Amino acid sequence: MKESDAMNIRDIAAQRILNVDLDTGQVNTEDVSRRDLVRLLGGRGLAAKFLYERIPAGTDPLGPENVLIWSPGTLSGTSAPSSGRTSVTCKGPATGLYLKVSVGGHLGAELKYAGYDYLVISGRAPHPVYLWVDDDRVEIRPAQHLWGKGTRETDDLIKAELDDDEIQTGIIGPAGENKVLFSCIMVSRYNSASRGGVGAVMGSKNLKAVAVRGRGALRVARPKPYFDLAARMRRELAADAGSESLYNWGTSGSIPGLDEMGMLAAYNFSQVTIDNSERLSGQYLVDEGYLTGRESCFACSTACHRYVKSHSDRWGDVDDSGPELETMMSLGAECGLTDTEAVLRANHLCNDYGLDTISAGHVISWAMECYERGVISPEQAEGLELGFGNAEAQLELIRRIAFREGLLGDLLAEGTQRASAEVGGDSWKWAIQAKGLEQSAVDTRAAKSYALAFAVNPRGPDHLMTETYAEFGFTEEAREVIRKITGDEKYANATLLEKRADIVRWHEDCYAATEALGFCVFTSTAAFAVNPENMAELFGHALGIEFSEEELMLGGRRIVTLERCFNAREGARREDDMLPWRMMNEPVPDGPNKGMITDQAMLDRFLDEYYALHGWDPATGIPQVETLKALDLADVCRVLPEA
Amino acid sequence: MTSLSVNADKCTACRACELTCSFVKEGVFAPYRSRIRIVRLHGFNVPVVCVNCAQAPCIEVCPTGAVYRDRAVPVVRINEAECIGCRECIKACPFGAADWDDDKDVAIMCDLCGGEPACVASCIYGALDFEPEATVVRRKRRATAEAIAARTAG
Repeated sequence: MKESDAMNIRDIAAQRILNVDLDTGQVNTEDVSRRDLVRLLGGRGLAAKFLYERIPAGTDPLGPENVLIWSPGTLSGTSAPSSGRTSVTCKGPATGLYLKVSVGGHLGAELKYAGYDYLVISGRAPHPVYLWVDDDRVEIRPAQHLWGKGTRETDDLIKAELDDDEIQTGIIGPAGENKVLFSCIMVSRYNSASRGGVGAVMGSKNLKAVAVRGRGALRVARPKPYFDLAARMRRELAADAGSESLYNWGTSGSIPGLDEMGMLAAYNFSQVTIDNSERLSGQYLVDEGYLTGRESCFACSTACHRYVKSHSDRWGDVDDSGPELETMMSLGAECGLTDTEAVLRANHLCNDYGLDTISAGHVISWAMECYERGVISPEQAEGLELGFGNAEAQLELIRRIAFREGLLGDLLAEGTQRASAEVGGDSWKWAIQAKGLEQSAVDTRAAKSYALAFAVNPRGPDHLMTETYAEFGFTEEAREVIRKITGDEKYANATLLEKRADIVRWHEDCYAATEALGFCVFTSTAAFAVNPENMAELFGHALGIEFSEEELMLGGRRIVTLERCFNAREGARREDDMLPWRMMNEPVPDGPNKGMITDQAMLDRFLDEYYALHGWDPATGIPQVETLKALDLADVCRVLPEA
Repeated sequence: MTSLSVNADKCTACRACELTCSFVKEGVFAPYRSRIRIVRLHGFNVPVVCVNCAQAPCIEVCPTGAVYRDRAVPVVRINEAECIGCRECIKACPFGAADWDDDKDVAIMCDLCGGEPACVASCIYGALDFEPEATVVRRKRRATAEAIAARTAG
């Protein structure tokens, strides 16, 4: 036996960056300071700092100067339940602003075992390449033979040429290569790092894939307390009602509930219901035998991920992961479609071409409305009958977008903000976007915390920078969270206007901390068994420090503030904290929420309260210098001059 | 005999068993050092672990007697202090259940934690069981009988 301490055991607290410069092919490592790890919690938090430091304002998101930062959570790779998620951070091409996406799968943990907490990729390779990280051996390998191929074939080919089927990969498809502004990265083959065109950033670097194998070990400072607390959290999480539903039905299990609540986004957000909506539900996938498996991300105790199979003479065979709730909504209901097999096929194509299903669905539903209103002519539709409910046209458009084929495919590949500017007329009014990102399928007219959260979301209007699900008060745990934030559970009512800013800010802090540590946000903002208190305790055991719930939430606040500063430095102001026009001007057409709207006056009220809570300038939304000092961030980011 | 049984159709590949095993055995989180490993096959996952063969090839090929049958548990186990690192047991195992620990330079295999396997306790999906073989067989026998009864009645 070896006498010396093994080389490849790494302390969680000793974080390391792997820098890869594709311009020069240079690779080096850097240590992270303990002070930064403690104040920004690592993961998403440190990634925001690196982004702020490494690229100046005005950087072209698709230029070689942009950086792509992979950061598994600080606790990823350990037994903490559902802690294996990874943030991917860059300047986003759809918005020209801060972009963080979060993804599950097994890549993040593998990167940790290889010896790295951050993978920072800069520059642009002279020809297509992929990155091979094999513990401490890092290689930039040619990828001309992979360019143009789908994500699944590429995964097969990389594993074959490296002769290891346990390698974890992150891969772009043709959509990322063609810099589609809503292209994604497929991680561990079946998990999608989506939104904002993160795949296009990889494509702009001529980087087809990242492949990782790690054989190292991770050690925490207080092993026994850490392991025991993690085991307890795993059991509590598995027993949570929210987790149980996610295991049984997946995320799309909530479709019947959304329909009942009158919050089912359909026909490009012009309707709140659609006939046969149950055919898009997770329950239907189970009952009709489409579901073939339930899958966990690394260390997850929920297993909401799905595998499905379908055989359809009309739409072709599918053997794939997903689809998630948002995919069912955007590629299904929003496009006027409830043909399950067609939507499974559309999901499969998006995965293989490397497209974000949320934006793909909403870009197509926008085009469908344009076509029905005559703003896109049959001639401009290039032979496609684009009206709502035409699955054949949708599937063909997905392909044309991924390859930027034809004038229409090329136009739609730019997203609804740019496409509506090109098409003109009133088409911008039904482009369901703000900041350049298509809104996810949440009706912000009826759910008021969601409305504020979407408006201030640094990457655009969606539920994936914070989630205020507790405001509905569906469960005792949810009502308890609202009581904790506001002092009274009567505020667990999504249609109330009071206390929305308090609810949003708390959830943002919690969400940022959750992601920095690597936990799935379902564990702390949909189920609630993982919470600031036990996250802080676990973080303390990992690092060997005393760490309170308040300090953890303060870390989350720092992350939110730093991300805000990045956008402010790019010129984003209060007027950019906005929702799509339709969501602010066309009231809910029918159902239980008929007549509801979140208009400018209401949003202004929310913003005033929210900026005041944060200590951000009320006129511009820029964090005040005193606020940054109080947060111990003054040395990291500063947009306003000293008063 | 009480043995570890695998219900692969319930495995979601969360890998809590790998993390638990490496922690309990080595004090670190390291799937490569786990005695149980999850193989992911595109929507179907299989835990692979030592099955404690009655005619164990690993015992037969071990030149130092480091691999032996511990009749108290009972289980096939390896005495790491006696292991010379020849890897014969790894080559002989037909299941890929014996592996090499890079850090300690010894072969590793499951020892059922001396009769209380930690991985089973960590599995919340019911993919791992540790029960007397007689119980498992009796349950299966009953299921067979009930299936026949249902067919006959139907």
